[in-house]
Formats: sequence, structure tokens, C-alpha cells
Amino acid sequence: MPQRYDAVIIGGGHNGLVSAAYLARGGLKTLVLERRHVLGGAAVTEEVFPGFRFSVASYVVSLLRPEIIRDLQLPRHGLRILPLDGTFTPLDDDYLWRTDDHAQTMREIRRWSAQDAEAYSEYGLLMVEMARFIKPILGITPVDPRRPDPRDAMPLGSLLRDFSKLPRRQQTAFVQLMTMSAADFLDQWFETAPLKATMSASGIIGTYQGVRSPGTAYVLLHHYMGEIDGAFRAWVIPRGGTGGVSEAIASSARSFGAEIRTEAPVDHITIRDGRATGVVLESGEEISAAAVLASTDAKVTFLDLIESGTLEPDFEASIRQFRFRGSSGKVNLALDGLPDFTIMPGPGEHLRGAISFSPSLDYMEQAYDDAKGGRFSQRPYVDMVIPTLVDPRMAPPGKHIVSCFVQYAPYKLAEGTWDDQREAFGDAVVDTLAERAPNIRSLILHRQVLTPLDIERTMGLTEGNIFQGELSLEQLFVNRPAPGWARFRTPINDLWLCGSSAHPGGGIMGAPGRIAALELLRQKGGEAA
Amino acid sequence: MTTTATWDAIVLGGGHNALVCATYLARSGLSTLVVEQRPSVGGALATAEIVPGARIPVYAHTVGRLRGSIARELGLAADGLRLVQPAARVTSLRTDGPAITLWGDTTRTASELAIVSRADGAAWPAFDAEVRTLSGVLSRLMTITPPDPSGAAPGDVLSALRLGMHLRGLDEAHGRALLRVLPQSVADFLEDRFETDALRAMLAVRGIRYSSMGPHSAGTTQVLLADSAGNDGGAAGETVYARGGPGALASALASAARRAGAEIRTGSQVVAVRSAGGRATGIALASGEELTAAVVVSGLDPRQTLLDLVDPEVLGPRLGWQAGNLRQSGVTAKVSLALSELPRFSGLTGDDAAVRLRGRLLVAPSVRYLDVAHDAAKYGRMSDQPWLEATIPSLTDPLLVDGAAASGVRHVMSVLVQSAPRQLRDDSWDTARDTLLARTMAVLESVAPGIGALVVARQMHTPADMERDLGMTGGHPLHGEPSLDQWFAWRPMLGYARYRMPLEGLYLCGSGAHPGGGVTGVPGRNAAREVIADRKRS
Repeated sequence: MPQRYDAVIIGGGHNGLVSAAYLARGGLKTLVLERRHVLGGAAVTEEVFPGFRFSVASYVVSLLRPEIIRDLQLPRHGLRILPLDGTFTPLDDDYLWRTDDHAQTMREIRRWSAQDAEAYSEYGLLMVEMARFIKPILGITPVDPRRPDPRDAMPLGSLLRDFSKLPRRQQTAFVQLMTMSAADFLDQWFETAPLKATMSASGIIGTYQGVRSPGTAYVLLHHYMGEIDGAFRAWVIPRGGTGGVSEAIASSARSFGAEIRTEAPVDHITIRDGRATGVVLESGEEISAAAVLASTDAKVTFLDLIESGTLEPDFEASIRQFRFRGSSGKVNLALDGLPDFTIMPGPGEHLRGAISFSPSLDYMEQAYDDAKGGRFSQRPYVDMVIPTLVDPRMAPPGKHIVSCFVQYAPYKLAEGTWDDQREAFGDAVVDTLAERAPNIRSLILHRQVLTPLDIERTMGLTEGNIFQGELSLEQLFVNRPAPGWARFRTPINDLWLCGSSAHPGGGIMGAPGRIAALELLRQKGGEAA
Repeated sequence: MTTTATWDAIVLGGGHNALVCATYLARSGLSTLVVEQRPSVGGALATAEIVPGARIPVYAHTVGRLRGSIARELGLAADGLRLVQPAARVTSLRTDGPAITLWGDTTRTASELAIVSRADGAAWPAFDAEVRTLSGVLSRLMTITPPDPSGAAPGDVLSALRLGMHLRGLDEAHGRALLRVLPQSVADFLEDRFETDALRAMLAVRGIRYSSMGPHSAGTTQVLLADSAGNDGGAAGETVYARGGPGALASALASAARRAGAEIRTGSQVVAVRSAGGRATGIALASGEELTAAVVVSGLDPRQTLLDLVDPEVLGPRLGWQAGNLRQSGVTAKVSLALSELPRFSGLTGDDAAVRLRGRLLVAPSVRYLDVAHDAAKYGRMSDQPWLEATIPSLTDPLLVDGAAASGVRHVMSVLVQSAPRQLRDDSWDTARDTLLARTMAVLESVAPGIGALVVARQMHTPADMERDLGMTGGHPLHGEPSLDQWFAWRPMLGYARYRMPLEGLYLCGSGAHPGGGVTGVPGRNAAREVIADRKRS
């Protein structure tokens, strides 16, 4: 006799868990099914090497929606936020070090360019204004451009009204952010190479685009929408790694009565007369549910978990056209001590924040040119963090872990396979680090290299795309994941999308999971009423 | 200082848009003066003698984007304009295979493509229809004055309504398609529709021509579709010659303007737009002459108009900063060749070779080739192997070389060369021009072995030359990048897309205004409409 649930959620990533928590809180009998033995999807902490625990994939948090932290009472469920102070950009003969101490940062930038220092504060204010303005988007369901439902059109309408009220220069900046390349946008403001390059980096995270590709300014803004304790653009590390976030959400979900099963891989979604009626596990076990929510990405959900021929050809075609193109890799290092930077020797505050290998826009763009040619970047952009400096329990005493986010590592290689290029890629990253911190080679005890292929295999993210689909202009808002299907519902009744393939996209934000759950509850309410 | 008669309207520059605008203004009864710095009007529409008896397009080499409605309204045929449209629209010359030709005839194209790829041949007719539908929407958007999203201005509501109507004209599938493809990169757009790389490349060219964007740049699909908007281009793209060369269109436009009553002064360079109390009052010429007018309409590019002609005090620092950031750096050079005979092209050996050669000729073998050519420009370098779009107008218009027998010239060949960035990082165009010419000839040799030996005379126009000769900032033929950040309701800048510039009584009627560059004449007509509307109001 198969069990019966109100809602079954495929995938125990942060979005799946957020959906589960909200649905359970809304009184639904909810089950989460996770393929792996650990929860969190890409927001996961694992002891990769004895005594060394890593945020294996996703490694910092900024975008997690404050309303989710509130609604799900995540602090009560163990979420602890540790600050990550500043960004250190080492160069051959100099460095750029920005910290949360505004005055110090001003002095530092003035050392490079008085004009840039002046522009910097103005720019920061503008971006915060822009983030404030666009933020409502993260909380709304995209209106269906073909048959607008006034209920959805309203928030959009008020957004447009707000736009016409903005000062002209902010309106212009907004249009530019939605259309320009990160480099072109920043070129208007700054002249200091490492400043522009380091700032431009948030424009390319997770995309198969370069800093000079139109559309990357939006991704820049996307990364400004983060709000921790009301402070925009604050990057933090959860205690215990990003898995700590997932565990807190899971605990919250359980407290609302949600059931969570790991090592329960779903084989397919059962569909009868155009309605999703449940799932069948790889074990053969059948689970029936009134609603199925997939936090898996659009390709996995519609092309792998649904029997082919079920979907309308047009819809299936547009899902096949939805682009993933993973472009980033991850290198996790277990170190015997701290790296020593030639330009700023010894341990110090500069190691406690992000360490960005981004000397110039040309450097960033050349890294992309390699990727366009189907090669990993010979000199990649690396965002390096040493979590043990703020969270020592992640490694044995005196030892350290280092997390390196790396671009570019294109999923599709022109020659060879990732299985035979994995270590060469790891070497290119270590070489890049060693150019600035030569002692790092001798400190390495263990090295874990994640290529896009590994991310796909381990996390089930198509082509290793960390956002479950590129954040390119044509794949945002009403087009995410397919034109006309940006409303978390799918052509299959009672099948919902609640992952980053849905609006508003990726990052440890939880927004898709939250809105999808609220939409479902709203619909149920409507039916009940 | 001498002050002369007051004009209702002074139009700055004698390019095609300025002439179109002046004609409509004069027709509405405004006393109109066109001021052109060069000895002749037409701007980038120019035909010049390369050797005695042989004439060749100097810059633009086709005129097929000119709006039929404008040509009719202006009666250009009466002024002797004859347009020639060859059956072959475009042919991709390849070293590694037979040439691919796209014809005006869709079925012929489909059956030829089927030889290269059955799937692509089968997909062609539907693709042509899709392009015509989507371009049709853009075509209608081009003729309207964009709404101003930055604040409700009179007329916005109306244009917004029209906008909605245009979109509702689409069926659901196309409506969705439009939403997705407009911001898409032309490489992705074509990858979703065709499997043959060479075919993708020959189509992608129209998404990046004259632009510093590459085939993977977001928004280049919109550029491709706009190229077919308001003309019979379809998926293959327009290929239309003006008999006698592009200069013939310029003279037709000039006589239309004169017929309408506009006066045209060549050889007079404007150095300033005068203003009083925040209103344009006239212009100053290099000669020292001051001309007063009720309105000044600039056919020059927006940067030049705002930064060089308007008093910075009047413009203000913020707009100055904004205008200074308009992206307008040209990447296209032009090579003109006089040939002793028709070159032989490898991969084009059939007896219908001469027919295929009448269309545009591309050396753009793959999307990757276009991309690599584009990459160089990002670092301020010219491409080692530029991509080329060439025409041999003497094939369709033998009169061009009528008197050149003595010079031993039987054909003229016009070649657009990309990428050749205006700003070279470690070189200047004075010294780099020969390098680019050599690289261009090398690329031509690869598809036409022995062509070098046929060259009787050659000319090269770099972006630097175009900037100097045509007075286009950055030598950018489109008066600004056709990218999404300088598009529609924010071309050239948000709040100034309705042809009215920050200075009251100053208008923009050139390619820097919506709907942008290309020989369409639409910015000129739209701007004239707004000028006339304002005159009626006041």
C-alpha cells in the first residue's frame, strides 16, 4: 500500500528544504527525497579528508533571503553567521586591499587613484539603491506576459511606478545594469585595474560569459542583492560551512513536521492524465502525492525524470534550449599552515576575507577567451577563502582549509575529457596561487579538485552549472526556465519547479523554494475556499 | 560677425538621415537649411573614382535597408534612383569546401542547403518565415517614437499603446520567441536552429557587422533581426545596389530635398550650436558666420552633437559624463580594389559562379573564426585574420567600369574588414594601415588564389580615416554601438530617445537615434515627425 503525501519534494538542496519547511508550516504532509547520503545539494559540508571539513561546492552566503531566516527561525535551528571581512587582491608588485573599514578602504583606493576613491563611495551608494529597487523582484512571481493576472501584474506595476520616480541617473544606471557588460559598466566609474577586475568578478560568477559580455552587469547586481542583517553586499560564512545552512533549514522543516529521507533517489515522476501523482524511487518504491515539487534543475526534471513523449514538443524543445554551460570549478586544499603572500608576508587580517586573483580586466577576459576555445583558463580567476581563520573547527588544530572558486572551467572541452584533465586543472590553479604565495605548494596536505563534470555527477547539476541554468538575459524572469513557464507551475498539473532553474535563479538565496511553496499554498487555499 | 536670415530649421550634416529629415521638414513648410562640411552630401553614401574611368563605393556598398515607404514618399525614382537586386543574396567563400549561397528564392536556398545538411535545408523555409515575422515586429517598432520609461511625457501613453498593439499582433509562439531571442546572442540563436557551422557564421555576420560585439555577445540577435526589418531581406539578408553606386542614392536624396525647398550648403563646417536661456538659437560656422534658426536638427553622432557643439556649461557635467560614456568606437575598415579581371574563387567553380558572385561575398567560415577576429579588438589589436564582407558591384553595374579599359580595370571590389578597432593599443593607424591591408589581401588570397596579381589600384579607409573624413566619432558607421544598452527607449541615452536633446529646440535625426544605424532613413523621418509636432504645439 503506497504512502500518500500532500507534497513530495525531489531533492534536498537548500531550495527543496526551504519549500518543504514552508509547506509543512502551511500544514501539508510533506516529504523530501534526497539522492545522496547528505542534505544540502551544493550547499553541503563534508569531511573530504580525515579531520578536514569543507564547504565542498558553494562556500559563502550572502543572498539568503532575510524573510526566510525569519520565517523558518533559522538561528534557533543552529544557523550561525561568521563575518568575512574584506577583499584582498594580490598583484606581482602591489596589492589592493578593501575592508569593511570604510576610511581605511578609502585611503587604500586613494593610494591608487584619488578619482576612483571619490567614485567608490558614490558607486557603492548607487548599487545599494539599485539593489533596494530590484529586490521586490526576488519576492514576486513573474507575470505571464500573454495573459497577465492582475494579482501578479500589481507588484510589477508598482515596480514600474517606482522606476519612473527614481532620479534620472539611477534610472540610467538600472537600464545599464540590465543590459551592459560588467566591464563597460565599471569602466564608466573607475580607472584602477585591480579594482575594476575584482569588482567585475561578481558579474561572471557561474556564467559562461566574460567581463566584457553584455548582460554580465546584471549578474553583478544579482550579487549585490545579498542582505545579511540588513547590510547589502555582505558575504559571510555559516559556522560549519554552507552545510550548516542546509542543516538549519532541514531542522526547521522537521520541526514543522516535514519528513526527510536521504539515499532515496527518484527514478521517475508518475503522471496520470496530465497530472503528477507521485514518484517512483530507484528502489521501486512508489510514493503518491497530491503535488510533486522538483528542486532538481529544468533539464533533470523534464528530460530525465519524466517519461519522454509526455511533454508538448514545443515545451520540450525550449527546455532543451535552456542553457547550462557550467563554467566554474572548485579546488579545496588542506594546508599544513597559512599561505604567505610575497607582497604582504606573514599572517594577518588580509587573509581573513576573500582573496581575489583578478589583477586586471584583460586578465579576466583572457581567462574567458580560453574557455570560449574549450580549454580551462591557463591563468584563471580565483576567489580564495580560508574558512579556518573564522571557523577553526573545520580542520585539526594548526591546520587550515582553503576554498578556491575557479573560473573558467568549461563543461565542454575542445580536447580530452575532464577525467584526464582534472589534475592538470588543479595544477593550473595551484600555479596561479603560488605566483603570489609561493609557499603554498609545500603546505598542501590534500587537494580536492571539482570540475563541472564532478559537480554534475555529485550534485546532479546539469553541466555543472551552479545556478541550475545560466543567468543570461534571455533566461531571466518571464523566460526562466522557459518563456511563459516562469510561474513555478509546469505543463504537468501538480508538478512544480522550486529550484534555481526557476525565477529568480541561483545562489544560496532560497527565493525559488519559498515562492514556489507560497504559490502552491495560495492555490490550495483558493481550491479550499 | 555677420548675422543672416533666420531659418525655421537648420539640419547639421548632409548624411542620408539628415537629407531625409530635411526633405520632410521642408515639405511641411519649414524653411530648411542643410549644412555639410564636405564638398558633397551623402556621408557614408559615396562613390568615387579609384582609377580613371572606374568608380567604386567608398564606404557602404549596399543600400537595401532603405525604407521603401521613404523612397516612395520622397519620389526618389523620379530623381533617377535605380535599385538592383541580384538573385544571389550572399555567398560564403570557403577554403575547405564548396561555397554556400543564400538566394532570394527560399526554395532554391533550401534545396542547396540540403546538399550540405538535410536538416538545415529542411529548416530553412521555416527559419525565413520566423525571421520575417520577428523582423516585422521590429520594423513597426522602428517607425514609432520610443516611449520614455523615465517619466510620462506627452505622447508616451500613445506610443506605449502602439507598442502593445505591435506585440499583440504576434501569435503566442512568436510572442514567446521574441521575448527569448531579442536579448540572445546570435551564436546561440543560430545554434538552436542550424547544425552547419558555416551557415551559422554567414548569418551571424549580420548580428555583429560594424559592431564591437562578438557572435557570443547578448543582444546580437536583435541586431540581426533589425537588419531584415522593413526590407525584403528575410533570413538571407538584403543585397541591393544603387545603380551608379551608393553616391547615386545620395544625389537622389539631395535633389528630393531641394525639390521640397530645402537649401543645401556644402563646404561649411558647423563649430557650435548656439543657445540662449536653455534653448537652441542657431549655429556657428567655422567661417565665423552665425546662422539663427528656430530649431537645430543634428544628423551628426550624439557624442559630437552634445560634447563638441553644445556649450558644456549648458549641457552640464552629468550629461557630459553620460555622453562621454556613449560607446561608439568603430571596428570596421574598408578596402577598395580595382581589378584587371574577375578573380577565381576556390570552392566556386561552377559555370554559375558569376551569378553567385553578384551577391555579398563573405570570408567568415565559422562562428569561431568570427569570435577570434572579434577577440583581438577587445585588447586594442586588429585581427590577424579579419572576417570580410565583399561586393563586386561591377558585375551588376558594368557602367561603374565603363571608361576604365585604358586603365586595364574590368572590375571593382569593395571589402568591409573587421575587426579593426579605432583605438589601437600599441600602434597608430598611420603605420598599421599597411599591415591591415596586407592581412586583408592574405585572407582574400586564401579564397581567391592569385587575386593579388589582379589588383591595379587599391584604397584603404581605416576607422581613423572615417572619423576624420566623415566626422563620425570613433569612425563608427552606426553612430554608436547597436547594443542593448544603447537601444530603443534609451538610444542614445535614457530620457533622450524621443529625438529631443537636452537643449530645447535641438533634435537628433541621425543613426545615433532610434532605430539606429544602417541606410534606412527612418531616424531622419521619425525626427522630422517630432520636430513638426512640436512646431504645431508651439
